[in-house]
Amino acid sequence: MAEHKILTEFEGIKDSRSLKTYLKHGGYQALAKAFQKKPEEIVALVKESGLRGRGGAGFPTGLKWSFIPAHIKERYLLCNNDEGEPGTFKDRYILELSPHMLIEGMIISAFAIGAHKAYIYTRCEFYEEIKWMNEAIDEAYKAGYLGKNILGSGFDFDLDHYIGAGAYICGEETGLISSLEGKKGQPKVKPPFPAVAGYLGKPTIVNNTETLAVVPWIVNHGASAYKAIGTEKSAGTKLFCISGPVKKPGVYEVPLGYPLKDFIEKEAGGLRDGVELKGVIPGGLSAPVLLPEEVEKVTLDYESMASFKSMLGSGAIIVIPKTQCMVELLKVTLDFYHHESCGQCTPCREGTGWLANIMKTVMQAKAKEDCYDKMYEVASHMEGRTICALSDAAAMPTKAIITKFKSELLNYLRRG
Amino acid sequence: MGTVETKEEVTFKLNGIDVTVPKGTTVMAAAKREKVAIPHFCWHPGLSVAGVCRFCMVKVKGRPKLEISCNLEATPGMEVDTVSDEVKDSHKWALEFHLANHPLDCPICDQAGECGLQKYYMSVGKYNSQMTEEKVLKPKALDVGDKLVLDTERCILCSRCVRFENEVTKTGGLGIFDRGDRAIIGTYGDEKITHNYQENLVDICPVGAFTSKEFRFKQRVWFLKEKSSICPGCSTGCAVSIHAKPEMETYFRVKPRYDKKVNGHWMCDKGREILSGLDKKERLENSYLQDQDEFSTCERPDMINHLNSLLSRFRGKKISLLVSAQYTNEEYERLFSFFVEKMGVRSIFQWRSKEEKLNDFDGILLRGDRNPNTRGLLDALRKFHILKEVENEFEACLTSSSDLIFAFSPLLSSSFSSFEEDLARLSKLKSCVCLFTTSYQARDYIGFNSLIPLVSFPEKTGHYTNYKGEKRELEGAYPSFIHEGFDVCELVNELDSNIKASLRA
Amino acid sequence: MGVIKVPLPPQDTNVFQAAWGYITTILKGLFVTKMILVKQLFKLEKTETIEWPEEPADYGPRFKGKHFLTKRDDGNVRCTACFLCATACPADCIYIEAGEHKSKTIEKYPVRFEIDILRCVFCGFCEEACPVDAIRLGPEYIMLPADGTKWVYTKEYLVARTNLNGGIQSIKDEEEKHPEVTSLTHESKHHRSLVKHGKH
Repeated sequence: MAEHKILTEFEGIKDSRSLKTYLKHGGYQALAKAFQKKPEEIVALVKESGLRGRGGAGFPTGLKWSFIPAHIKERYLLCNNDEGEPGTFKDRYILELSPHMLIEGMIISAFAIGAHKAYIYTRCEFYEEIKWMNEAIDEAYKAGYLGKNILGSGFDFDLDHYIGAGAYICGEETGLISSLEGKKGQPKVKPPFPAVAGYLGKPTIVNNTETLAVVPWIVNHGASAYKAIGTEKSAGTKLFCISGPVKKPGVYEVPLGYPLKDFIEKEAGGLRDGVELKGVIPGGLSAPVLLPEEVEKVTLDYESMASFKSMLGSGAIIVIPKTQCMVELLKVTLDFYHHESCGQCTPCREGTGWLANIMKTVMQAKAKEDCYDKMYEVASHMEGRTICALSDAAAMPTKAIITKFKSELLNYLRRG
Repeated sequence: MGTVETKEEVTFKLNGIDVTVPKGTTVMAAAKREKVAIPHFCWHPGLSVAGVCRFCMVKVKGRPKLEISCNLEATPGMEVDTVSDEVKDSHKWALEFHLANHPLDCPICDQAGECGLQKYYMSVGKYNSQMTEEKVLKPKALDVGDKLVLDTERCILCSRCVRFENEVTKTGGLGIFDRGDRAIIGTYGDEKITHNYQENLVDICPVGAFTSKEFRFKQRVWFLKEKSSICPGCSTGCAVSIHAKPEMETYFRVKPRYDKKVNGHWMCDKGREILSGLDKKERLENSYLQDQDEFSTCERPDMINHLNSLLSRFRGKKISLLVSAQYTNEEYERLFSFFVEKMGVRSIFQWRSKEEKLNDFDGILLRGDRNPNTRGLLDALRKFHILKEVENEFEACLTSSSDLIFAFSPLLSSSFSSFEEDLARLSKLKSCVCLFTTSYQARDYIGFNSLIPLVSFPEKTGHYTNYKGEKRELEGAYPSFIHEGFDVCELVNELDSNIKASLRA
Repeated sequence: MGVIKVPLPPQDTNVFQAAWGYITTILKGLFVTKMILVKQLFKLEKTETIEWPEEPADYGPRFKGKHFLTKRDDGNVRCTACFLCATACPADCIYIEAGEHKSKTIEKYPVRFEIDILRCVFCGFCEEACPVDAIRLGPEYIMLPADGTKWVYTKEYLVARTNLNGGIQSIKDEEEKHPEVTSLTHESKHHRSLVKHGKH
């Protein structure tokens, strides 16, 4: 998809991370343009562009920005670079290609929402990316893109890079805020939403790396140019990362609304020889699995995914081959959520542990045949009952796997 | 938190009935006011909203998901439902999740009988548990404070205690460690909780995770009777309820009651020690008359006759009252109306502790003035035109060369550091001293003319006026197990009628 | 037992005939009893009567007689002092004083457990109420004061009186047992030490 290289513009360019290369390709021009506008105009521009949060939930970004109460002047912008969803490796790719794109996007976004302080929250496992990001921030400070009175606009902006300890829950926006505040990484009860009372109790906007990195392009090319890409409700391009037995696993940028089948066949080079498709998890581990016949029909946008009762999530496409045992997959999934549940809300704390425990008995061949019905019931009652979506993230794939692969799960039990 | 003080009001529908509440009220607080029971664990009206137990789910018409009512602000026109099958099912399952890893400890758990889990199992549960897998085991019976035992396995992680430590005492002594179903409540490192409000943790714990060392295993709660009273431990005068088992003639524990203007939801641990001197064996059970260097018991009528004869014998001589600030307003009034108005006694002395620091305040509840009714005493005196300031006049009483002293000793000798010393000095006086007391200790000081046993505060009704003038009632009185004990008002009434009779004669 | 056919009272016969009918019947009855006497006298038939108390007589194990307390397999008394028996008791004859056991896995045990046997109505509610099979009503039916004088049975008497042959094991022991969890998981220990040293 050569015609839409927004985030992957620097793919294949040598020394793409340096400020020099970035400037050579028109970097920080959007910033200059943005400073000529009023902050409200930028918010309106982003709203108009139809940009939706790329972290998983797909909430309209411009709308989120407009929630900030006008009377509180101390505001924060946080970049959620804690991509923890199993199967996702798209944000680190942006840092690998062009960290300055993110910095520019953050300055513009901060200008738009009136924040003078921002943090990038990165998980500690991204050793190289942390280094590159830090280097880029240093460069930007030296060149005057960060600090006091940026480009003579009178706008002060400081950017800090915070390294998290790698908890899955800290990828949730309020969990991230708690962690950044120095507390245990636990989501906070909403309302109040972070846009009203977030980091240190002040209005805070938390956006995904990909969301922020695309803002300079929108400012440069205008809202309508962005809206023209993708479908009506899901505008623009998105990074998708595909893993599993395909010929070319990796990160690809395609416009939203792109057929999943084509994505696997054309972008990722199709399945490896001799591999048959059993299913696809389209949006990270927490997205319900799609069967091959569904894969044929579904397109990569929020609405189409929802119509198949799955979700686009973070855009992590996991291809499952026929040889994969679904019981093991379910066990690994549930062990992950059991380990990562923060333990704050009861249904999630007890439910994830319970589900993982049942799977343990299944693996030990101690379970009865009705255990899957029990799991389904437990999962149904975990869904939508907690502060954050981790409980849903554990429940949704469980329910999908149990309904779609029940005979295989039962066979596993009968075989012993 | 519950209600916010505003004039603005909102009206919404709760189970089809219109409810009007101040703006900013949560559905939970409104439901509580309307006596609609929404099950909850983590919500406590005195603490911030945590929203973690996910028990108080309600359905708001037009919204896709169930929502927790503790963090749901009532808005005009909202239609809230707490009784539909969907909501009931969510309550049942929330309880199932709470109980999934809860041990079957009820037989050895002190909370049994007043446990949230038991209560809600009967009201919203009543299912057959599907939990057949192994439970998570956690450390039990941990010593976490002077007065606390922590059982992390029983804990449902509602975080009330953590919030109490952070918000009320601001000591931050507790935290939740580890994640998921391994999460446990604990203190940091080997530190212990040492502040003066520990037992509130026991009160707010909806299950038996925190138990009180003092009360631990003493009695099952369903045997206890509960009566409303006022804590006599200091001049704050917290609203409390006293739990006792009258058949056993024992007081077991004190718990705070909610009083918005006085103590809110809490009380201090010092206040819970007020029961320490109320054991039958520590109380003066009989009237005693001094008879040649030793005390001999006498019957109630004999004592009244004795006091009468004293009053007539010392008529015209100097009679003084030495009064501590631990009696009720009614008792003071009756006392002074007799002694000041009838008998013309003008020398009334306040008996206060020697080492008291009047203006001490711990910032939460406990005050330096360890008498519950300092203000009530002064107010009563003012009614009889005796104007006094708060002052220890014990010395003045000793040097006043009175012929007859009626000494009303403190009922709570524990809050009087110099009580024994004072008794010793009082007993050595040349004057004739009648000591009205509850304490058995008084028998060790032979010099008193007579010892009159009194009933103590859980056994009487009346009023205390606290440091800022809030008048509160001691509502419930237990029948005193000191059968020979006198009630001050009754005693004075008898003296009064006898005096009248003798005057007529 | 044999069945004796008694002729119907004579309806339309005269008085003598009627009297004769009664007399023969009485004689028949006397003959039966006397025959049994003779048979038993010459040991031709077994007597049902027991020479109690010289000869022992036992009720079945389900008889609700004298109470006893069961033991754990380690010999400790099984009772957890939950007071449920005392609560259920309609005669208010159970007195329990609970205490803290030195073993954390037991936690609560009865320091005193007393039954006033003179008050007891042998309803068996205590047995029904017990969640851990700690108290049972046994087949002993001779209620004598313990040690000759004490009508209030103490814990020691209820657990290990001579008739119990060293005590009876509770059936609810193994399943209720809670292993002692002293150490925390590695993660939380680490977390705690971090917090303690101000690194977090």
